[in-house]
Amino acid sequence: MKYFKTITDGIFKGNPTFVLLLGMCPTLATTSSAMNGLGMGVATMFVLICSNAFISLLKNLIPDGVRIPCYIVVIASFVTILQMLIQAYLPELYRTLGIFIPLIVVNCIILGRAEAFAAKNNVLASLCDGLGTGLGFTLALTLLGMIREFFGKGTFFGTEILPSSCNMLLFVLAPGAFITLGLLIAVVNSIRKNQA
Amino acid sequence: MKKLESNRLNMAVVMTAIAVAAAGLLGWVNSFTQEPIAQKSSQADFDAIRSVIIGDRDIEFTVAPAQERNGFVFHKVTGADGRTLGTAVKSTDPNGFGGDLTIMVGFDTEGEILGYKVLDHSETPGLGAQADEWFRQPEKTGSVSGSKLSELIFGAPSKAGSHNIIGMNPADDVMTVSSDGGQVDAITASTITSKAFLRAVNAAFKELFGYTAADAVSGASY
Repeated sequence: MKYFKTITDGIFKGNPTFVLLLGMCPTLATTSSAMNGLGMGVATMFVLICSNAFISLLKNLIPDGVRIPCYIVVIASFVTILQMLIQAYLPELYRTLGIFIPLIVVNCIILGRAEAFAAKNNVLASLCDGLGTGLGFTLALTLLGMIREFFGKGTFFGTEILPSSCNMLLFVLAPGAFITLGLLIAVVNSIRKNQA
Repeated sequence: MKKLESNRLNMAVVMTAIAVAAAGLLGWVNSFTQEPIAQKSSQADFDAIRSVIIGDRDIEFTVAPAQERNGFVFHKVTGADGRTLGTAVKSTDPNGFGGDLTIMVGFDTEGEILGYKVLDHSETPGLGAQADEWFRQPEKTGSVSGSKLSELIFGAPSKAGSHNIIGMNPADDVMTVSSDGGQVDAITASTITSKAFLRAVNAAFKELFGYTAADAVSGASY
């Protein structure tokens, strides 16, 4: 039960994007389409789960004085593994996500969860936390990507819905990312307020 | 187990051990991803060469090993009878709207453009990123161009009125945007991308054949 709550907390109450406002750079930059958002979310979730589990496993072996560099080495290793795997087996995704994959290393959600959760909890709880936070991040990025893609290109996961004359290019460009994210956070906040 | 104390020896040993383990793990993953990555990349090159030289034609052909010269990569394509079908040139212009714009363009032996493909770009989605399709479309199909409003803002379409570069020959046709006195219509609202694209085409041709018609017209686009 406790583990289940850890997962749902990551998705709703502690959603990294809408509530904690962490990892804004990949959130804004990679969500020009729903597929890209989903890809980035899943990639980040993979790294988050692996690094959380490993750091939790090694937490007593790592002296406090060098914990941040050790965490970064662990995170960077998983990111590099992920990058090589995507490049080898999903070249299309690699082409669209490009430089954002190596930048997962400095995504503050991952180091944040390592420091705030994995370093203090057991392996199973850390796995659940990685899964929950990762799902929350993926959900947020996919939602953002879906909205931007729908208004910007008139498509839903690549399937055309609106004719191209209805496209509002603004949504695919950077300002559209800020506007959509701001509105989504407002919606999430008002829901949270009503619940409290 | 109690947490290890933060003394110098512990820190050095743990940090080193983690780094070594990480390096070992990466080496192992690299050992089995290296080959598919190289394969995918050469497969992508091969597909691009085929699409710019052969297109939809159903003929046998062989691609000669790549030759590199002054930053351009040349692939000579030969038909089954041994005749040269054309040369695919990989060309990069550093001044696209978002940075490097890399294209592959195929010329036949006379210099006529058989096809092109945008390999890598950082252009604006929906605007400059249309370059992949724009320069092979026979008609004006952009959502804005052609309307009365756009004529009011951007001026009437030029007489050349075409942005299809397939079949053009940089030796005879002035392949710059119409605002620079050339014969190619720029992508609506993406003149910088269009200029970069045409510079890449002209540079590839010049490297292959030595001169272009655009040289004589103006230095403005260079």
